[in-house]
Amino acid sequence: MSGAVDALPRKTARRAGPSLGSDPLLAGLVATIVAAAVILLVLQPAPYLVNMVGQLAAFAILAVSLDLVWGYLGILSLGHGLFFAIGGYVCAMHLLAHAYAVTGVAPDLMQFMGWKSLPAYWTGLTSAPYALGLALVLAAGVAFVFGFASFRSRVNGVYFSIISQALVYVAMLLMFRNDTGLGGNNGMTGFSVLFGWPMGTPGVVTGLAVATLLTLAGVLAGARALVASPIGRRMLACRDDEARLRTLGYGTTRLKLGIWCLSAVIAALAGILYVPQVGIINPRVLSPDLSIEIAVWVAIGGMGRLGGAVIGAVAVNALKFWLSAAMPEAWPFILSGLVLAVVLGLPNGFLDLAALRLRPTWLRRGGAQP
Amino acid sequence: MVEGVGRVWLAGLLVWAASLMVPPALAAGLGLDRAAFAAALCGDGAAQTSAVETFLRRSAEAEAGDVAWAGTTLRALLDRRLACLGETVVILDRAGAADGLDAATGTARPATGGRSPVLGLRQRALIETASGVATLLTGSSADARKGALATVERRIASVPEPVLRRAAAAEADAGLKASLAAVVESAALSSPDPARRLAAIRAVAEAPSGAAFSRLSALKADPAYGADPAFRTVLDAALARVERSVSLGNALAVLYNGLSFASILFMAAAGLAIIFGLMGVINLAQGEFIMIGAYATYGVQEAIRRIAPAWLDAYLLVAIPVAFLASALVGIAIEALILRHLYRRPLMSLLATWAVSLFLINGVRVAIGSQNLQFAMPSYVSGGVPLYADFVVTWNRLFAIAFAAVTLVLTLVILKRTPLGLDIRAVTQNRDMAACLGIRTRRVDRLAFGFGSGLAGLAGVALCPIYSVNPGMGANFIVDSFMVVVLGGVGTVVGTLVAALGIGGANVLIEPLYGAVAAKVIVLVGIILFLQRRPEGLFAVRRRR
Repeated sequence: MSGAVDALPRKTARRAGPSLGSDPLLAGLVATIVAAAVILLVLQPAPYLVNMVGQLAAFAILAVSLDLVWGYLGILSLGHGLFFAIGGYVCAMHLLAHAYAVTGVAPDLMQFMGWKSLPAYWTGLTSAPYALGLALVLAAGVAFVFGFASFRSRVNGVYFSIISQALVYVAMLLMFRNDTGLGGNNGMTGFSVLFGWPMGTPGVVTGLAVATLLTLAGVLAGARALVASPIGRRMLACRDDEARLRTLGYGTTRLKLGIWCLSAVIAALAGILYVPQVGIINPRVLSPDLSIEIAVWVAIGGMGRLGGAVIGAVAVNALKFWLSAAMPEAWPFILSGLVLAVVLGLPNGFLDLAALRLRPTWLRRGGAQP
Repeated sequence: MVEGVGRVWLAGLLVWAASLMVPPALAAGLGLDRAAFAAALCGDGAAQTSAVETFLRRSAEAEAGDVAWAGTTLRALLDRRLACLGETVVILDRAGAADGLDAATGTARPATGGRSPVLGLRQRALIETASGVATLLTGSSADARKGALATVERRIASVPEPVLRRAAAAEADAGLKASLAAVVESAALSSPDPARRLAAIRAVAEAPSGAAFSRLSALKADPAYGADPAFRTVLDAALARVERSVSLGNALAVLYNGLSFASILFMAAAGLAIIFGLMGVINLAQGEFIMIGAYATYGVQEAIRRIAPAWLDAYLLVAIPVAFLASALVGIAIEALILRHLYRRPLMSLLATWAVSLFLINGVRVAIGSQNLQFAMPSYVSGGVPLYADFVVTWNRLFAIAFAAVTLVLTLVILKRTPLGLDIRAVTQNRDMAACLGIRTRRVDRLAFGFGSGLAGLAGVALCPIYSVNPGMGANFIVDSFMVVVLGGVGTVVGTLVAALGIGGANVLIEPLYGAVAAKVIVLVGIILFLQRRPEGLFAVRRRR
């Protein structure tokens, strides 16, 4: 509690400048990300490593999207997997439709359902720009409808979290049905072509990873510009005391709705980039547990800091990649222990750890503020 | 081929002649010459068929001892435990044994050199039916008779109606008697006597059920339906009546299922609502407290199995306090170790309880395994009583409903009538004021958390006879019980009850029409729409925080 209280002035002080340079941590992160992209391009490491970096970057984008609404707006969504899945599903549809058009091999789900052709709503998905637009518009649309219904009636706090969790749960149940035309419980897989190139070749893997890294850097820079702008101040004000902000005459519903939709679009972007890298999407991305895990990444990294979200997502998922293969039994215990340790000991996540190293408590308390 | 058929006829004739030649005393009413019957069973297919058909015809009047004897012999034949030594027939204890009992006299004698007849497919079916009839008439246990009825029903056409009447009249078990009566009536449906037939139709309509409906509908294809106006009127009236009753019975069944589902939901959500209302803590581990309750029940069952197997049936009742205490203690420990530090940060406490639930699920998975637990079903939660048409009141669901009702009353008593309840209500309304008045809010929090967790443990007990119990079971309830809490309004037991009834009812009503997924979707959309009108839920507690 005391941590939260004395952390606040520091945060606001640090967010004073609009430029990226005034946040050294974030600037360093963006530089690292760009450098990683260059290294991948130049050194061409083993494809599985490249693929892992790409996946981590996609998760980082997802974490940033949640941090925007949770850390800066105080809205904890436990259903962000929904928007991730929208992006992923539309991307998978595009890949299948495209591969079908190029190679003429019918996708598994068509053969499974015994269909002669793809359903009507697949029309046009062979075009990549249309698919991209559809994914983003769909995510924004779903977010708008759900957000409008919730924010207008002032469903907030834990209520909102619960309802969003139910939303993703219902979406999962829907997607488990085979008659949705989206692969049912098997999901969609067997992507063979991306923009005409065969999937899985080192070139395509590297290209995807680099694209994801650059998108992450772009999203970070954009989000930073947003939170450092007057809108960002209003977001913080809304998080800290929404009633007062409303009393002062700001339309908080509009503000929350806008950021919420933006966050959904970013999450969908992460899904679009994620699916071609793992080569499959199925309803499991919609399970409530996975959506909670996104919040766990942000909490572990440090909510309310864009860099924290990235660090959390990368650290937890890198650990997961390693441990769920090395000792699958122990991984859930380690994850729960990690969450408890962070929640109890480090109210601001790993960033607290960094602050502790740089400036011990006795020094901070001593009034030696820079 | 021709010669074969001729031989069969001849053998049948011989057996018939033999049956005519039995002493008059036996032929008159009791009608079973044991020696001849056993000998016929050793004969060829035709002899067997004829003997067994004779037995079936006469079994309505035959002496119980004879019937039981025939049943034993027929079963021996089915199991290849019958040894034929010329004229004498020996029943063996097991197939291929060296000696056994003489079928006709019951004296022990060697069976070496005996031939065990092999049954043809058609004879086997008939003999199974006859053996079933014998068991139905003289079987000692209700279960054996029930099994026999199932066997007999498969070839009901070959069983004379009087035999079924006799079985129905002699039956002691009420459920079995009812199904036998139904079988008798349906057998009479195809009776050649028109008056008897109409009576049977009326009688079938007296005991409406889905099966009765399909039996009656089948009669529409009967030529008499077109030819005989009287038959037509009676059948149409009977069909209409059965249809009405069946749909009423189905509606009752839906209500009953909805009520039992709502009871479980209420049990799962009541503790959640108390904890949420009091401390603003979303307990994502509530589902795992349910699981702990179920596993505690399992532990009690195993302990009783070891210590006092005779009292095994009582485990479900013994488990009630144990499960409550187990879940409550785990809850209190979690509160003291973790949540205590997070009261001003509800979103973080949510993540913390998620971590706890992950820990508990995997702890149980590693320690006990992820398979479903096997529960012995005590007599008071297995089976049910058919109430009306197809509507059966099953004891396990009734147990859950009664359990939830008792829990509801106790919870209300504790909240409204005890000092702890007074403290809980005070802290829920205004924590700071309550603290100023000298209420030890921290202690109240801990006790309330224990109480809420204990309620979840009780839900675990109620679930054991209905659902499968495994480490992941809590996840199935958490979303639904959250919906209940949100809809009902945080922190009100009455709101939780109403919301549980509403959601449970809606789920069960929509499910048969559109499927389980659509039911969930519609309920969720309904809740979101409802929150547009009342963001605080049905019964919002007024409080100042």
